[in-house]
Amino acid sequence: MKLDRRSFLKGAGASTAGCALVATLPGTLAAFEQQSLKPVGSEVNSICEMCSTRCPISARVINGKNVSILGNAAAKSFGGAVCARGGAGHSLLYDPQRLVKPLKRVGERGEGQWQEIEWHEAYQLIAEKLNGIKQKYGAESVAFSSKSGSQHKYLFHLAHAFGSPNTFTHASTCPGAYKYAASAMYGGGVKRDLGGAKYIINFGHNLYEGINMSETRGLMKAQTKGKAKLVVFEPRFSIVADKADKWYPIKPGTDIAVALSLCHVLINDNLYDHDFVEKYVAGFDEFADEVKQYTPEWAERICEVPAADIRRIAHELAAAAPHALVDYGHRTTFTPEEFELRRALYAANVLIGNLERKGGLFFAKKAKTYNQFAGDDAAPTLGKPGVDGMPTITAKRIDQVDQQFAMTWSKGGVYQSILDAALESKPYQLKGWVISRSNPMQTMTDRARVVEAMKQMEFVVCCDLYVSESAAYADVILPESTYLERDEEIFDKSSKSPAYYVRQRVVETIGDTRPSWQIWQQIGHALGLGKFFPWETMESLQLVQTKKDAKLLQEIKRQGYISYGVPLLLREPSYVAKFQATHSKARVADEDGSYASALKFKTPSGKIELSSTKIETMAPGRGVIRYREVTLKQPNQLFFIQGKVAVHTNGATHNVPYLANLMNDNAVWINPITAGHMGIKSGDKIRLYNDTGEEHGVALVTPGIRPDTVFAYMGFGSKNKELARAYGRGVHCGNLLPHVISPVTGMSLHTAGVSVAKA
Amino acid sequence: MTKRYVMVHDENKCIGCQACNVACRSENSTPDAVTRIQVRIEGPHGHYPDLHFKYHRVSCQQCENAPCVEVCPTGAAYVGDDGIISINKDKCVGCQYCIAACPYKVRFINPETRVPDKCDFCKHSRLAEGKQPACVSVCPTDALTFGDANDPSSDVAQLLDTRIHFQDKAHLGTKPRVYRIPGKRGGINQ
Ligand code: SF4
Ligand code: SF4
Ligand code: SF4
Repeated sequence: MKLDRRSFLKGAGASTAGCALVATLPGTLAAFEQQSLKPVGSEVNSICEMCSTRCPISARVINGKNVSILGNAAAKSFGGAVCARGGAGHSLLYDPQRLVKPLKRVGERGEGQWQEIEWHEAYQLIAEKLNGIKQKYGAESVAFSSKSGSQHKYLFHLAHAFGSPNTFTHASTCPGAYKYAASAMYGGGVKRDLGGAKYIINFGHNLYEGINMSETRGLMKAQTKGKAKLVVFEPRFSIVADKADKWYPIKPGTDIAVALSLCHVLINDNLYDHDFVEKYVAGFDEFADEVKQYTPEWAERICEVPAADIRRIAHELAAAAPHALVDYGHRTTFTPEEFELRRALYAANVLIGNLERKGGLFFAKKAKTYNQFAGDDAAPTLGKPGVDGMPTITAKRIDQVDQQFAMTWSKGGVYQSILDAALESKPYQLKGWVISRSNPMQTMTDRARVVEAMKQMEFVVCCDLYVSESAAYADVILPESTYLERDEEIFDKSSKSPAYYVRQRVVETIGDTRPSWQIWQQIGHALGLGKFFPWETMESLQLVQTKKDAKLLQEIKRQGYISYGVPLLLREPSYVAKFQATHSKARVADEDGSYASALKFKTPSGKIELSSTKIETMAPGRGVIRYREVTLKQPNQLFFIQGKVAVHTNGATHNVPYLANLMNDNAVWINPITAGHMGIKSGDKIRLYNDTGEEHGVALVTPGIRPDTVFAYMGFGSKNKELARAYGRGVHCGNLLPHVISPVTGMSLHTAGVSVAKA
Repeated sequence: MTKRYVMVHDENKCIGCQACNVACRSENSTPDAVTRIQVRIEGPHGHYPDLHFKYHRVSCQQCENAPCVEVCPTGAAYVGDDGIISINKDKCVGCQYCIAACPYKVRFINPETRVPDKCDFCKHSRLAEGKQPACVSVCPTDALTFGDANDPSSDVAQLLDTRIHFQDKAHLGTKPRVYRIPGKRGGINQ
């Protein structure tokens, strides 16, 4: 089917509004003439990429022009469901504002003057500039950052081959702290079995708006089928607060007081699991000693949650234990004391002994572990491509200035340290920045400082689908193919049993875009580092993964998602019994019918470390979990907090047509009492300002927010006109958040003090 | 009438995520400017901190006594033998009486076909292929149930037999085939 541009866009059901505005922007689909759409198959099972959950999807091309995206029904915990963002994939695919040709900056940085260039020209320019910087300042003066997920591995491989240790994911701007806290205590990441829980305590982990499909479904299943009780502590009346049995509008930044106080009651009232603690826990006495002082009455004064309620909730939690959990959250940027908060939340879980129990926390059972228990090859293990002779990097990372960040170095790093290094040569000067599908202008704090940092760079490369706010300040923008046009490697999606899935093309590439794995490989070649990229195609990489088993690869591709065996929770006898019934050579169970004796922790003590000497060495004074007062705002200011909405993903989707159509503005939530004092009514134009910046927005007067707090959904208010549907609409949160590097975790801070006035 | 297709929307389970809205668009090629289905999150109602939201599905109710069919001068708006209200493009003269008559304000002119359009339970897209409506298939929380209420063993029949439910603007006598299970303050009640 051959279509010209006009009928192509019309056929795709794309809106023509906004076309005129951007028709002059080179490199976009609107400026691209001849085009045809070729479906790869009638129905393709693949992986979504509209947020970082990456749900298994199933996509069909309808009437040769429309792509319908549903969930892959084979992935049981995902239930064949897909959220609004996932369903909107094809609206991104055909967006006339999407970038489909490499661009080179021709005006001043950030001025918006671009020229289309060919890929080989882009590669040549990049190789010349990056090698030049490497010669002059050393390879370490180039930072590489990427959204974590499929792309970051390839980019970081390039960074390593190039010789720079400075690689960053977005971890320190969102989920990092809960991961580091788990690693410090359990010796590795844990997952939550929400679906099996009878009692759930939630600290603003808004799973009904920040949708993570299997967890969202799990929570709903627990609430409906399991009749679980849900208690939510959150300053805003979110959807999860609405669906809770009880919502506490907790004072921002004080969650830790409730968490520690719950631990206090569990220990003080002798409600904790003695056997579990004795068998698996180190550092209990130090912790118990510390939490003695954290009574519910103490907590009430800090967080404004009634002491009697905290006490009752702790008792209810213990009564439901071990089939109960305290949700450790996802976005971990409430206060600089995230490390303490997330550890305190895990501590409550440790005390009720819910590890590897139904409705509790558990370790992912990847093929290797699972097969050991099964006594045979229940699930295939994946091979890894080895590359010989990768250079040894002697330069230190820019965030390696302080031992307390030791846990972050190999796990995403302190993203914000790029700004300090670029602007203050701390600890040394950065001169180049390669960014892949990461939008620090939206997701990092202090937008103005990000702009400054980019301006002082000698060379910036961005790989993205749109001219994102960050890409607008690049020297070269490389258009990546959307996830609907990419083949990628096989990913491990193991949960209670091993699972794999794979991303596959649904349609043939539109325009002149490339998948990022190929882009970084080709840049590797241009830089003269070809020998570190021995794979040629994605298929060859996939075959390395399946250890040349073409049949297995075909099967994973056909089904899109495959899980093996039955769910296994090591301390849940009924699960172990079913596991043994499924696998004839399975490990012999302990006397109590569980695999409890097999539970191991990769911590220095080999136990769960409620208090840790390792952390004490890294960050003196922090071995034991402790409350520290934080100042998040001045007395005359309001707390400014943000959150997620179900139809957008933080820094990425606000320009996608369907989604922009659903929501393209973020009104600022303000309590009627507060608004009344200021004479503000819903719909009034207001000004939010503080030392970091100033933003103009529209007020939404609602009782769904504390009187001392204002709220806005994140990711709106783009400041570059290339994102025509998002430009200037709503409040840009990053422009009001201060630049902070939190202790131990290196997290940024998303709670700020702001003044509000009628504009 | 052999079948009686109905939809049940459980407002307890609905999270207002709009997955149904988006899936319906791509499945039925709905142009950006118009919408067959939307779920409005209304509120919060009440007084801080005793609040609640309402989750209100706005889509064709597939009325048993359908005003849109009654006023249609050409028979373009018609009831199928499955109870689903459809539109015959060829018979439509564009008088827009049906749009004016619909008390639920869910009919619109499709800017591409120039003919009135609305939810038809995916009759011509997915039902024809033996699949569930798009909105039902994608709903993350299984808030939607669709099926033949004439079949006593169907999920919808069981829900309607066992759960308190209501219909929008029941006093108008339109007898909607979209049923709602009301949300209850203070958690989810199955
Ligand atoms: S998809 Fe389901 S949960 Fe989401 S708005 Fe629609 S009915 Fe509600
Ligand atoms: S809701 Fe409106 S369009 Fe649907 S059947 Fe009733 S009157 Fe007709
Ligand atoms: S039944 Fe079909 S047409 Fe109606 S709202 Fe659902 S998806 Fe849309």
